Amino acid sequence: MAAFVQLVILGLLAGGVYVAVGVGFGLVWGVLNIVNLAHGALVIVGGYVTWQLFTAFGLDPFLTLPVDAVALFVLGYALQRGVINRIIRAPLLFTFLLTFGLNLVIVNVLLLIFGSDFRSVTPTYSGQGFELGGIVIPYVRLASLGAAILLSTGLAFLLSRTRVGLSIHAIAADRDAAQLVGIDLRHTYAVTYGLGAACAGVAGGLIAMIQAITPTAGEPYTLQAFVVVILGGLGRVSATVVGGLAFGLVEAFGQSIPGSGSVFANAIAFGLMVLVLVTRPQGLMGRLR
Amino acid sequence: MIATADSQRRWRRIFLIVGGIVAAYALLAPLTSLDAAQAAGIPLLTDKFWFRIATYVVMFVVLATAWNIIGGITGYAAFGNVAFFGIGAYTTGMLIAKAKWPFLVALPLAPVLAALFAALVGLPLLRLRGHYFAVASLGVGVAVGELVQNIDYNGQPVFGGASGLFLPIYAVGHRGLFFFYLMCGAAAIAIAVTWWVLRSRFGYGLIAIRENEDAAAVIGVNTTAYKVAAFALAAALTGLAGGIFSQWNVFINQDNTFPIEYNVQMILMALLGGTGTVFGPAAGAVLLQLLIQFLGGSLPISFDLPFVSSEARPIVAQVILGLLLVVVVIFVPRGVIDFFGGRTRLSLSYLRRSLRDTSL
Repeated sequence: MAAFVQLVILGLLAGGVYVAVGVGFGLVWGVLNIVNLAHGALVIVGGYVTWQLFTAFGLDPFLTLPVDAVALFVLGYALQRGVINRIIRAPLLFTFLLTFGLNLVIVNVLLLIFGSDFRSVTPTYSGQGFELGGIVIPYVRLASLGAAILLSTGLAFLLSRTRVGLSIHAIAADRDAAQLVGIDLRHTYAVTYGLGAACAGVAGGLIAMIQAITPTAGEPYTLQAFVVVILGGLGRVSATVVGGLAFGLVEAFGQSIPGSGSVFANAIAFGLMVLVLVTRPQGLMGRLR
Repeated sequence: MIATADSQRRWRRIFLIVGGIVAAYALLAPLTSLDAAQAAGIPLLTDKFWFRIATYVVMFVVLATAWNIIGGITGYAAFGNVAFFGIGAYTTGMLIAKAKWPFLVALPLAPVLAALFAALVGLPLLRLRGHYFAVASLGVGVAVGELVQNIDYNGQPVFGGASGLFLPIYAVGHRGLFFFYLMCGAAAIAIAVTWWVLRSRFGYGLIAIRENEDAAAVIGVNTTAYKVAAFALAAALTGLAGGIFSQWNVFINQDNTFPIEYNVQMILMALLGGTGTVFGPAAGAVLLQLLIQFLGGSLPISFDLPFVSSEARPIVAQVILGLLLVVVVIFVPRGVIDFFGGRTRLSLSYLRRSLRDTSL
């Protein structure tokens, strides 16, 4: 029983990162109809921003998260405004290839700048934790879950309570009608992608504290973000939060199966995704669009 | 107008003639290379390395042409075709290395098994559309590679595990030449199959599915059967290439039989050449694969990139490839072969028009 509870807690804690990775991906997918294959690369850019600030200035990694968000928002805004907006009306294969190309460029530019060495962010409290009824809870994991929940809440608030958020809802519902009522499409598209990238940046900051990063470490996160969004259901932040936590749980239990270890992480994730897609395409929490 | 049409026709003829000469040269030159060219010292042909590059190029002709059947003709953006390549490679590899079958007996089973697997996963996956199908198929590609590398039985890796699988070297005179022509044979089959599909009732059904699946179903196309058949056909051709690759390369592992970048490369090749056509993907494959090899510095003719050290070169090559991908997707959505085929001319107004068609 204790082992079971431990697994549940570890799964939920690990789910924090997946929530952070998933919300930005889900926003871009749901609103812009782009499956952003560069999402993992953006995540890792955030990781390197945190690493750079931590090693150069000794800044606490949690304090670098807002910097990640701002830096990645600017990068994302520029990418959408300058590049991706130009193929928004093309068939979906083109957005796939375009974002894959961006992914290739970002990852390899990072390789040129930082090399392929593993980098890790290790504040004094990393590796420490407290015990609660026989279960060890690492500080960093707990704080990153908190940060991910905060990020999702902030995003949900932004989307539902601000003018920008309402225009994002409008372009998601009907692009042409949104234009008719005076919404600047190019700007709003770019803001949406920028917000998605900002979430990716925060996720990257969290990931840098949990694992050592390399420029190529982001690729699994693109795929996992996709699974998380499918699992929760496309179109709402809260659904992605549920999806991320559920994914963390599935992963924790998958890894605890004797003999499998972590080597089948992708196979489990995708098996789960195909199962969800075929049996409940709207996701655990979603409504059919 | 008439003058333009004339000049377009001329360009089309020139392109066909030049393409034909290049193809004939590429196919026949290796034969002459062995003695005559070696004596003459023609650099490209005496190089054993050239056979490797040429075989890789032809392998991608097979992969891109096969992808075209499901992606170009049927319109389902398959992103995980590399799974079939790997399954083909491991089928042949296991039969040769573990069951000691002769290569030419083991090879036909590669497409069979790949097609069976495609039919099996195709039944649930092909119910999905658009993004969902694309990423689900990508997932299959990743997951199969992971399973093949990590499945153990009694603590022993079944498929060679992380250290890969070694095959005995196939004893045949002029190995390089043999596998080059074998791969050319696979490419010929792939192109012939595409040609047949585009002229058959089956192919018209697939095109109907691409244009409007619901309408296709209404006029009596059994969409599920057609889609699964197209998927299995593409998988069989891809698996055939994988089977040849395993014996040619002698060593197979997860990295060289399930590389995720192949998924994107074959799509880009088909797109570059023009999807839904017979020869487009093949032409795109030759162009792009030569470019990739050239940028990577592995062609016999090469040059130094300015300001780039030799260590950074492969990385810079990837950056260039990524930028190229972006530029092609944005500016030339109908493929570059369009220009040579004489339907369009490369001009500023063409680029501007294609940009306007797709941008916000």
